[in-house]
Amino acid sequence: MALGLLAWWSLPVASSAPNRIVPGDAVYAWQVAGPAMAVLASLPMALAGWVARQPDPGWRSLGLVLLALLGLPLWLVLCVHQLVDPQLPQARLGIGAGSWCTLFVLLLALLDLRTRQRWPAGLYIACLCVPLVVTALCLPLGLDRLALWQEYRGRADDFWLAVGEHLLLVGATVALSLALGAALALLMRRLPALQRAGFGVLNFMQTIPSLALFGLLLGPLAWAAQRFPWLDQLGISGIGWAPALVALVTYSLLPMVRNTFVALEGVDRGVIEAARGMGMSRGQMFWQVRLPLALPVLLEGVRITTVQAIGLTAVAALIGAGGLGRFIFQGLGQAAMDLVLLGALPILVMAMLADGVLGNLSRRLGRGVTR
Amino acid sequence: MIELIHITKRFDHTVAVDDVSLKIDGGEFCCLVGTSGCGKSTTLKMINRLIEHSEGEIHIDQKPIRSFREDVLRRRIGYAIQSTGLFPHWTVARNIGLVPRLLKWPKSRIDTRVEELMSLLGLSMADYADKYPDQLSGGQAQRVGVARALAADPDILLMDEPFGALDPITRETLQLELRDLQARLGKTIVFVTHDMDEALRLADRLVVMHEGRIVQQGHPLQLLREPANDFVASLLGGEDRGLKEAALLPVSERMVPLGAGGVARERIDQTASLREALSVMLWRRVERLAVVDDDDIPIGELNFRRLVGARVND
Amino acid sequence: MTDVLTRRWLMPFVWCALLLVGCLAMSLFEPVFRWLEPDSRDVVYARVDFLVLLGRHLLVVTIAAALATLLGVLGAIAVTRPAGREFLPLVAQVASLGQTFPPVAVLALAVPVLGFGTLPIVVALLLYGLLPIVRNTLAGIEGISPSVLEAARGMGMTGGQILRQVELPLAAPVILAGIRTSVTINIATAALGATVGSSNLGDPIISGIVNGNTAYIVQGALLIALLALAVDSVFARLSSR
Repeated sequence: MALGLLAWWSLPVASSAPNRIVPGDAVYAWQVAGPAMAVLASLPMALAGWVARQPDPGWRSLGLVLLALLGLPLWLVLCVHQLVDPQLPQARLGIGAGSWCTLFVLLLALLDLRTRQRWPAGLYIACLCVPLVVTALCLPLGLDRLALWQEYRGRADDFWLAVGEHLLLVGATVALSLALGAALALLMRRLPALQRAGFGVLNFMQTIPSLALFGLLLGPLAWAAQRFPWLDQLGISGIGWAPALVALVTYSLLPMVRNTFVALEGVDRGVIEAARGMGMSRGQMFWQVRLPLALPVLLEGVRITTVQAIGLTAVAALIGAGGLGRFIFQGLGQAAMDLVLLGALPILVMAMLADGVLGNLSRRLGRGVTR
Repeated sequence: MIELIHITKRFDHTVAVDDVSLKIDGGEFCCLVGTSGCGKSTTLKMINRLIEHSEGEIHIDQKPIRSFREDVLRRRIGYAIQSTGLFPHWTVARNIGLVPRLLKWPKSRIDTRVEELMSLLGLSMADYADKYPDQLSGGQAQRVGVARALAADPDILLMDEPFGALDPITRETLQLELRDLQARLGKTIVFVTHDMDEALRLADRLVVMHEGRIVQQGHPLQLLREPANDFVASLLGGEDRGLKEAALLPVSERMVPLGAGGVARERIDQTASLREALSVMLWRRVERLAVVDDDDIPIGELNFRRLVGARVND
Repeated sequence: MTDVLTRRWLMPFVWCALLLVGCLAMSLFEPVFRWLEPDSRDVVYARVDFLVLLGRHLLVVTIAAALATLLGVLGAIAVTRPAGREFLPLVAQVASLGQTFPPVAVLALAVPVLGFGTLPIVVALLLYGLLPIVRNTLAGIEGISPSVLEAARGMGMTGGQILRQVELPLAAPVILAGIRTSVTINIATAALGATVGSSNLGDPIISGIVNGNTAYIVQGALLIALLALAVDSVFARLSSR
């Protein structure tokens, strides 16, 4: 909490700029609407910090943190009205480091409260949604002047296209690596000789940085496309989605194969012996015993793979595979930070969503399976 | 000498140990027994301050244990636990030498001591000194655990179910060895167990605990003969108590001089227990046994009536 | 003895040698690159010497990794002491949640907050590299069997002695694995740093992409891959001792 207040006071909370090209002027909290307003705005946080020291913080603390979270968009609305010249249609407000840090600290406080109080996940998710809804409601009130929103409006179609590309690439990667990984894992169980070599190669591939692997695939694929025109017609070439997909699948194979293998091997010997003793056939044993028991660990592999693929797909934008990474690198190239955010934030959200949903699913399935 | 004076331990709102007073004399072998959760382990761990008592005072040799620094106190008291707690990254020799090293003994003295202890516990230096704990069997690891507890020659040894995880045969061997060691070294031992046979075999003083309180204490035979209540009676074996008592008494106790009826065919060593004698009679279907000394020379006779301690006019 | 030594260190040595050869003698392979990229004027990246790029790359990664190891291990130790235990759940949660953040996103988010250049890269790598180290240190220390710790306390070891002689040695392999993960990720992420104004082995790749010069891309990719493999083989050697 103290950290949040420090950030609030010491870092610029926002920056305003007449248009896209000019870098914004940094604005500190007390410059927005006078020091009194800034003190008022930081009250809930200070209170929450104080309450947390009290013997039984629980609900009061949660209320205050939520209040602070709700205050944040309202505060930004205030910033817009105070700072942005309504006459200039291109004028915009950037969210400053101070606000970001405050948001971060508040979310951290929420997380801490959750782990301490052991509140159900539903409540937690609701708490996370409330500020989002308020932010959305505040949009017409002036938040549309936020640079982030302006960037989005400028390329709304493109944005959703990029999200689509991103999801498609991730989906294809996960599906392909699941199929290949499962096949490989089953093969390894049959042929122990393949195990060492297989894991060796996959481990080896995992250490090669993504940017390098994309680069190294460029040569051979470009060459193949030249040699075999039909590949070219399929859209396979040195740059674009083809090398991206190959590289992504290569990375995804290790967690997938490892988890599938461990999951199938890790099934309790006693259970298998009992199943055999009851007279189950090999097939029955696999489908009715091994697979259901292995499923949670297998899903864990899917989760790791998905989260990893979401991040790596962003890098793939460098070699023209599209996706949200495009905005990041465009933004970095043009020094347009809000464009970078437009790319990075959805990636972050996607990764956390995938992590949460798949993690939950795996835990839920694993409930009956005690290891 | 260890003295617990009106000791109470509370964890949050539950009372684990409730107003326990206990005096253990120097050189005594004291076993704490009871069902799980009765507070016997907590009581043990309060003696070396692994758990701090809430009320009362604990004295060692008339000095309150809180007048020592925790680690200084613990280095003076040997400690052995069920899962041995051997450090997996250290060799056997290094594990045994732990406390002497903490006490900053010179290296040569530590080496001599480790060698001494290993031979005391029947671990050959050449075979085991450089092994790691995961290369040992359960019994060997427990021997090392006991050796480590004895390393700095403490007057007091605390043992928390040290043989709990061993198979019956290894367990019995180690129990006999421990009994033997204690007789030779004269340590004060406080021993926690839930195995009643183990407690009866080892203890000079048996302390029965239930729900945080001491229900009864005294010599094992006394508890067997005069249990304070039904709980103690059933804990000590219920109807099996006769056999358990017989296991504690040597044949020599009920032996009569050789009579005119000639020497009986079946023999029993004079150091065997009455329980063993009874077993031999049942097995051989005889009523008389010849009692022999170490050289297998008959020195007396044991008959069934004497064995069960029947009164003359029965 | 020397025989064992050479065999043990063979792989790291081979990768390091290849890396050096790559840096020093890239121009020797000019014909190969010429064939790959027949239309360009220059086929070997020459704006900055490869050795300099390698040095910068290593410097950034080393500084970030050293600081991350120091902070991560100290932090994890702090929250496993009785005084800091209150913060253990929070730190553990953040460490595992933070690892779902893609490194690119972290890098991209660091720029608006910290600006362009090498320093933001170091800070971003440091922060991101902390997570696996903290998580593994926690796992390593928490994974020690309670009976070992109880025995250590029962024998009269002080807190510091338990930490130095029992907890850290037993957790060391897990901590080392965490540092290895951290460094592997850092090498890859640092290469992306070339897009945010930090000059290192990622430079040839970015410049190749911008100018449409495949040869540059391949050279950069080759060297980064060799660097990653060299560093990883050193860690592999250290951890299998």
